[in-house]
Amino acid sequence: MAWKFDKILHSLTDDAQNQKARQLWEAESLGGITEDNNRLPQAVVWLLGLTIITAFLITFPLWGQRPSAAIYQAYVAEMDSPEVAAASDDQARVQAIVNKVKAQGGQYEALQERHPVEMDDLRMIKDQVIELQNAGVDLEEYTVVGNRVVLANFEGNIKADGTKQRKQPWWDKGYTIDIFYVIYFCVAVLIAIKRLPNFAWQPDHHKGH
Amino acid sequence: MLKYLFARNEDIPHGTSAVYFGISSIMWFVIGTGLGSFNAAKLAFPDFVTGSELFSFGHMRQVHVMAVIFGWISMAFAMAMMYITPALGNTRLWSEKLGVWNCFLWNFGLSLALTLLWAGMSSGREYSDFPWFIDLVILFGIVAPLGLNVWMTVLKRRTQGIYTTNWFFLAGTFMVFIVLLVGNTPEYFQLTGLTEAYLTWWFAHNVLGLWITPVAAAIAYYTIPKITGNPLYSHRIGHLHFWSVVVFYSTPAAHHLMSAPLPEWLKSFASVEGVLILVPAIAFVSNLLLTMTGKWHYFVDNVETKFTITGVLLAIPLNMQGGFQQTRAINWYIHGTGWIVAHAHLALLGFSTFLEGAAVYYGLQTILRRKLYSLALANFHFWFLLIGFSIYWISMTIAGLIQGAGKIYEVPYIDVVIAEHPYMIARWVGGTMVFTGNCVWLYNMWMTARAGTVIPAGRLPHELAYER
Repeated sequence: MAWKFDKILHSLTDDAQNQKARQLWEAESLGGITEDNNRLPQAVVWLLGLTIITAFLITFPLWGQRPSAAIYQAYVAEMDSPEVAAASDDQARVQAIVNKVKAQGGQYEALQERHPVEMDDLRMIKDQVIELQNAGVDLEEYTVVGNRVVLANFEGNIKADGTKQRKQPWWDKGYTIDIFYVIYFCVAVLIAIKRLPNFAWQPDHHKGH
Repeated sequence: MLKYLFARNEDIPHGTSAVYFGISSIMWFVIGTGLGSFNAAKLAFPDFVTGSELFSFGHMRQVHVMAVIFGWISMAFAMAMMYITPALGNTRLWSEKLGVWNCFLWNFGLSLALTLLWAGMSSGREYSDFPWFIDLVILFGIVAPLGLNVWMTVLKRRTQGIYTTNWFFLAGTFMVFIVLLVGNTPEYFQLTGLTEAYLTWWFAHNVLGLWITPVAAAIAYYTIPKITGNPLYSHRIGHLHFWSVVVFYSTPAAHHLMSAPLPEWLKSFASVEGVLILVPAIAFVSNLLLTMTGKWHYFVDNVETKFTITGVLLAIPLNMQGGFQQTRAINWYIHGTGWIVAHAHLALLGFSTFLEGAAVYYGLQTILRRKLYSLALANFHFWFLLIGFSIYWISMTIAGLIQGAGKIYEVPYIDVVIAEHPYMIARWVGGTMVFTGNCVWLYNMWMTARAGTVIPAGRLPHELAYER
């Protein structure tokens, strides 16, 4: 187990042990099977890097969430406006609401596009949204499930007032653990691989067989 | 078999237990896929066999699943371990007698366990449906003796190094023991609620991730270099594959419960790890495909290579699906639909079955020293398996997407059932093709043992494939 740290990306093993490993590698037949010492092709290294980045980006809870009641707050507020009331049918009414809210802009624009509703949906949640607004709660902590507006099925950190946070953050300690986990893994595998003779050396399988 | 149970270890011919495991695995595959075909017929034609509780879908489904996992897949693994482990260590199996007893008790125990399951005695936990006392028998009567034989064979090897395949065999037998021990604790200690749900899926995930996937891959690491004569492309990538299986496959159990009230950070953690199962998959596929360099004609000419490389290629869609379908963005849509059934069959009937099939084909010919009775029947088996599986997988994937849409848009359930009906028929057709192919396989291997051309000493079965 002789270690060497002068060229850590070349090999972590001293020359004598590397020499011993090479001799064994070339001499030993494992049931008639031999192995080469090729490095991972560079394209595959990039693919692995891409996989690790993708793993984090695609799993953020920004995606695949149920709509929160907050994104329909502006819709509900526009339901009784004169333009909407003047519209000929439900389709025109909901279109008028969407157009008005879109013109105002705001932080929920993307989520509103991702979770479209019809006039009947709005009618079902309207009273519940207003009631929650009057109660002064944070509507982002409530999700719309069918015709019901319910407290989100998420329990996060405890807030200053003693209640639990119901909003899902884009980052949580699960990702922090993952970062450490991935780093430990990469370091451990690098050490295991760098203990082998450098990939520039390939065994000659005709020597021992 | 009975005569070897009480023979001295030295008097039992080398490879005996592997042959028994191999033949047993094919028979269980026929039984398992026969049950699958029967169950699929019940879904396609609701009036098929009614009036008996024993033949109801609720009684039959888990018998099919357990017959395939514990009968076909795990016995094929045992077969591979019984002949590959000693071969790679230039030695003999530590105890043929233990292997023969292992095979006998496995067949006897599984028959009994499936009968109880069929009769309705179930834990009600998916993938660990057997009641707790059967779990203990599996743990100490089946898995422990298998692991002991594998570990002792490696410890008594006559080589200094240990080849990649044996790393996976050693780790697989150890990890599945832990998985069975810990994963079934809800049954031993009456754990309920979320704890039970989590441990159920921890068990189910890890049986796939730490037993079936790595051991199937280990077989490919043996068959491809052995048959093609090429060295394994990279020992280094073998390290990457092995350690990434251990690290990234053991952690994402919570991604099976993305809509359950588990801690959200645990789901986030598991979901990232779930995508990272692509790391071992990329390492495995690239290592094996690069090992084929210059020998791609074997993919056409040689039946074992055909099976193995098909299994390796199926690892690509398997892990792409597995990696991404568990993310929040996709899981909400496909969770609880036929998509998952299709994915499970891609793992068990696609990826792993093709790899195990190669091991059983190659092992039986090598140990019995008999050339395959009929290459044409082997090719028939391959194509029926592949086409039947593909029909099953595609039809169930489409059915799953229909169910997902029905679920999200709150379509009345009966309308979804009607929309799915053609795909249920396709599922039955595909499953029945697989069953038919397996019946042919059993016949072919039986005839190989009885009437196959003797392979002369010093030759390998695949070298004689086209010689009369």
